[in-house]
Formats: sequence, C-alpha cells, structure tokens
Amino acid sequence: MDEEPERTKRWEGGYERTWEVLKEDESGSLKATVEEILFQSKRKRVTESHGQVRLGMMRHLHLVVDCSRSMEDQDLKPNRLTASLKLIETFVEEYFDQNPISQLGIITTKNKRAEKLTDLAGNPKKHIVALKKAVDTVCLGEPSLYNSLHLAIQTLKHMPGHTSREILVILSSLTTCDPANICELIKTLKSLKVRVSVIGLSAEVRVCTVLTRETGGSYHVILDESHFKELLMLHVKPPPASSSSECSLIRMGFPQHIIASLTDQEAKPSFSMSHLDSSSGADLSLGGYFCPQCHAKYTELPVECKVCGLTLVSAPHLARSFHHLFPLQAFTESPTEQLQKDRFCQACQGELKDKSIFSCPSCCSVFCVECDLFIHDSLHCCPCCIHNQSNP
Amino acid sequence: MASEEEINLLVIVVDVNPIWWGQQAQRATELTLSKCLDAVMVLGNSHMAMSRTNKLSVIASHFEDSHFLYPGKSWRMGDSCGDDASSSGDGKYELLAVANNLIAEEIRKVMSKTEVRGNSTDTLLAGTLAKALCYINRVSKEFEVGQEIKSRILVIKAAEDCARQYMNFMNVIFAAQKQNILIDACVLDSDSGLLQQACDITGGLYLKIPQKVALAQYLLWVFLPDSEQRSQLVLPPPAHVDYRAACFCHRNLIEIGYVCSVCLSIFCNFSPICTTCETAFKIQLPQMVKPKKKKLKQPT
Repeated sequence: MDEEPERTKRWEGGYERTWEVLKEDESGSLKATVEEILFQSKRKRVTESHGQVRLGMMRHLHLVVDCSRSMEDQDLKPNRLTASLKLIETFVEEYFDQNPISQLGIITTKNKRAEKLTDLAGNPKKHIVALKKAVDTVCLGEPSLYNSLHLAIQTLKHMPGHTSREILVILSSLTTCDPANICELIKTLKSLKVRVSVIGLSAEVRVCTVLTRETGGSYHVILDESHFKELLMLHVKPPPASSSSECSLIRMGFPQHIIASLTDQEAKPSFSMSHLDSSSGADLSLGGYFCPQCHAKYTELPVECKVCGLTLVSAPHLARSFHHLFPLQAFTESPTEQLQKDRFCQACQGELKDKSIFSCPSCCSVFCVECDLFIHDSLHCCPCCIHNQSNP
Repeated sequence: MASEEEINLLVIVVDVNPIWWGQQAQRATELTLSKCLDAVMVLGNSHMAMSRTNKLSVIASHFEDSHFLYPGKSWRMGDSCGDDASSSGDGKYELLAVANNLIAEEIRKVMSKTEVRGNSTDTLLAGTLAKALCYINRVSKEFEVGQEIKSRILVIKAAEDCARQYMNFMNVIFAAQKQNILIDACVLDSDSGLLQQACDITGGLYLKIPQKVALAQYLLWVFLPDSEQRSQLVLPPPAHVDYRAACFCHRNLIEIGYVCSVCLSIFCNFSPICTTCETAFKIQLPQMVKPKKKKLKQPT
C-alpha cells in the first residue's frame, strides 16, 4: 500500500475566492496591485539553491514524447504537438548550455509502439534537426508507457555508474497500452537507479504518480504554455546525485584547435570522423580538433572519439558547469526607505526606484531587482565580491 | 514615432592600473595614460558621430574597484552640470563636448582619490566586465519592445592577467555569450590568455598592438566598425587559442587527463582520492581467477 499520505485533491477543498487578490486603492485604480503581482512574479524566478549537495554533472537523459491522438488537441496553439516540439527545442539548447558534457536522446511513442527519434548524443544540432522534422508526424493511436521506458532502459543500463540516468516523459494521453505488467518495470527501473520524471499535459494519472514516486522523480501537470516552459526548464539544472551513484575518475582528452590556412605548407586536408556516417557533410577541411590518442579529426567538441573511445572536451566546457558547484547565495531583501546612502544600484548605476533593494550578504553592496535577477540567472557571481583581490 | 534604426551600444573598459602606467611614464615611452584616454575619447566621439542613435559608456578598471567615467550619475540627477561645459566655442556637437569633459573630470577624480595598496601589477577585469553586463542589461530593458539594441564591449588592457579570477572571468564570458554581446580586446603590452578565450567564445576581435604610439589609429581601424560591417573589411586574423586544460596538481597544460565526476577537477595522473572534494574513487581491479581445487586421491 502507499507509504505517503495522499494529498487532498483540489475538488475536495473549499471555494477559492481568487478575485480577492485584486484590491483597488482610493481612486479605484489597480496599478499598485498589478505592480506588486509583477514584482512577485519576477522574484519567483530566483529559485533556491541546493547548497552543499553533490550534483550529478554527467547526465544521460532520455526524452520520451507522446505522439498519440490526444496530441492533436488544440488547447495549446496551434496544436499540442507543435507547441511541445517548439518548447523542447528551447529545452535542448538550454540543456546543452548548462550541462555541456551530458548526452540526450529522444524517443517517440504512438500506435502502441515506441521508436527512437535520435540516439544518445552530445551534440544539440542533430536533435534540433530531428525535432524540426518531427513536426509533420501524424498523431494516431495510443501511447505505450511500457514500451518507451523499456526502449530507454536498453541504452541506459549500459551507461557507467558515475553518470546520472534520467528519463523525462511528456505524456498527454490519459491512457497507455502496455504489453506486460508495468509494476515489474518500475522495480527494474529502481534497481537500475534510473530517475523518471513526467510532465502531464492533460490531468494527473495514477500510474505516473507511482512511477515517479518509486524512482525519485517529479510529476507535474501543466496549466498553460508558460507553465509548461517553466516545468521543462526545471529539468535543465543538474539534479542531486543519489547516494548510491559511484564516483570515478574519467579519462578525457583536451585536443588543440588547429586553424590552418591555405597558404600553410604543412596543412593537409582531411575528413572529419563525425561526418563519415552521414551522407551529407563529408567534406575535406584543413583545420579541426585532433584526438590526442589516435589523431582522428573532429570538427566540433564535445565528442566521443569513434576510433579509440576517448571522450574529447575543451576546458571551457567543464568551466561552464562550475557555477553549479559554487552556487551564488541569495541576496537579502530590504525596503528601499532604509537606505541612507545615494539611491544607486552598484552594478548598473541606475536609480533604485523599486520598493525593495537587494544586498549581497558578503560585501553588503546594494542592487536593484533587475540586476538581482540577471546576477542569479546568467552571471552567477556578485560584481562587487569579485573585485576583492583576496577572493579566489 | 518609433525609430526604425537599431541602437548600437559600445562600452569601453579601460585598464587604469596606476602601477603599470607609472612604470610606463618612468620608462619615458610615448604612451602615457592621458594619451591613451585621448585615443579613447577619439574612438568614443567617432562612435557617437557614426549615427544619431549610437550610445557610449566608458568604465575605468582600477585596483579593487571600477568606476563609470561616462555616463555619470549626476547626468541623471539633472542637466545643470552639463550647461557649464556645453558652451565650447568651436561649434562641436554638444554631446561630444559634454562626454569629453565628463570623462576627463571623472578620471582625474578617480586617480586622485583612490589610494594605492600593494604593488601588484595585475588587473581584476572580471568585476568590471560584470558591471558592464549589468549596465547593458538595464539599458536594453529601458527601451520599447520593438527596438533592437546591439551591444559590444571593448577592453583596453594594459597590465597582466590575474590567474585568480579565472572562474569569475569564465562566468562573465558565458553570460556575455548568452546575451549575444561581443567582447573585443586591444592589448597594449603582454598577451592575455583569458581575453583570447573571451574573444574566441563571444566572436569578438583580439589584437595586440605592435606600436603603442599609434593606438588611436588601431582603435579607429579595427574596433570602430560594428559586427555587421566587419565581414566586409580586411581585419587582423583570429589568434590561435590554447584550450588545453591545466591540471590542478602541477598547473601543467595537459592533453589527456583524468576528471573527477563529482567536482570536475582535472588531474594528470590517476590517484585514489580527489584532492578537491575528497571523494574516494572506485578502482577497477582485474578479475581474480580462483584456482581450481584439486581433489586429493584417497589411497585405497
């Protein structure tokens, strides 16, 4: 039976008087309330950091997209399939931006079967091309949760133990057609330490609740398109690593980028190993990245060398993930009236017009709400703290 | 009437490390700080003269702080300070005269007020670049939704790199790349690996000036055109950037190394414990083959 108490469902609660949020002031204008709501929505984007928790940096994520009949519904414009594929493209770009040494694979399910759209790979371009082509697929039949999870496990179980194995399912149908008992599959997933998360597009389905609870993932149902985007972006950050994942030293190569011009006597044109399999793009080129172990050539990083199996990355790829390891503390909020000094934001030199200001706990410099958002979303370091010479 | 032209914002970051510039003055070379700032003002004026909608900002990167030379805070409080300076008799475009006077006044204030501590000749550029990015972020939010604003940052670097700011510098570079902001670099003295990486990743230009005396010429030739015009000009070729990683134990550049899966630190040799995060690694031992037990034949 269930170990956790079931949450009360929304229809079991009393009436929610949502109109009471909006309050008019004396002249009858809603301006103050609207500004307050906008301010709160900006603040909501700064999420809490995990603190000193070990994160799974090298991720192998399988994305399962439901292509069944229910995806033709038009509640997301123009239809659910097109809207989802567009948001997934943004997700793929952000995912490789924040996790450069991770890999992603896409599986589609329809007509009671599951098919691989793209293999597990570290290059975002292949996935985006495949997603753009997938917009034309015909949605028919029922999805099969069992078959898609089974297909994902086939590749994930061979992955080394120090990586995090994840599956993200985007399920819009309320039914699934499975050839065997899904509870057995859930036990297999748990033993393989695969974390499954689901984003539902229609309503909460019990099998998904059990699946995500047993494997340690999250289950959400979308309210509208912007909520869908928020939920997808939650999966971009690396998740906390499970205690049983192994830590090991991974052997990697750091090739030099050789830029050769036509006038260089020693430059020899060569084929890139990554393009040999595909029919297009097998061109001779002069420069590129040469694997330090076997001297095979590649045009882009990160890549796994096909000849000798060495993972090739460049130092900035690893540097991109450092801000996850050293997260920036949240700034303390205080009302603007308490500020004695000049009312200027120390980062952007703008006037402080909002009702609250943010100060960094270590250097006590003052920032406006826009700079606070920018610093926590993109910059990941306080501009005044890094001026301090003794700070490494 | 909404303007159809796009707005180009140029942020110039000038390295005013007083020790390096002092050494330059002692060696009696021809490039002093005032000549360098003259060249910067020439570039700034030319940029603003190229189009009515171009915008400029100049930041000075000092020892432990950075100061906005232009536009100043008093600029916003009221234009009363601008009135005294605007009456230059030679009929110059008022904005250029005001900008030049403000820059000259602010740099005098900065150099006289800031006290010099220590004698290091490195500059902490990462903090100044972070402030520049915050400024660009604020300016681009102030315009209406339809107007495009294109920004780029030009760094004029004098002293050497400080190796301690590697991580912050990389964070700033990735933030700039995400916002599509180019970082160009004009290096006066010694080559800077950090700035070479910044220019490579964001798509800007890196140039080490062969003759310091001709600074203004190089600035106008290479760094005045914006990114669209650069494709039609013959500009210095991109420098070869060394992206090899340095190992954490010896600081050597290595081609093949071992990376800890928890903290991503790089080592040149296999070791059973990671020195940064102190996790013990699982070592792959070869499979033990159990010797077959031979049954002793009992004597009958």
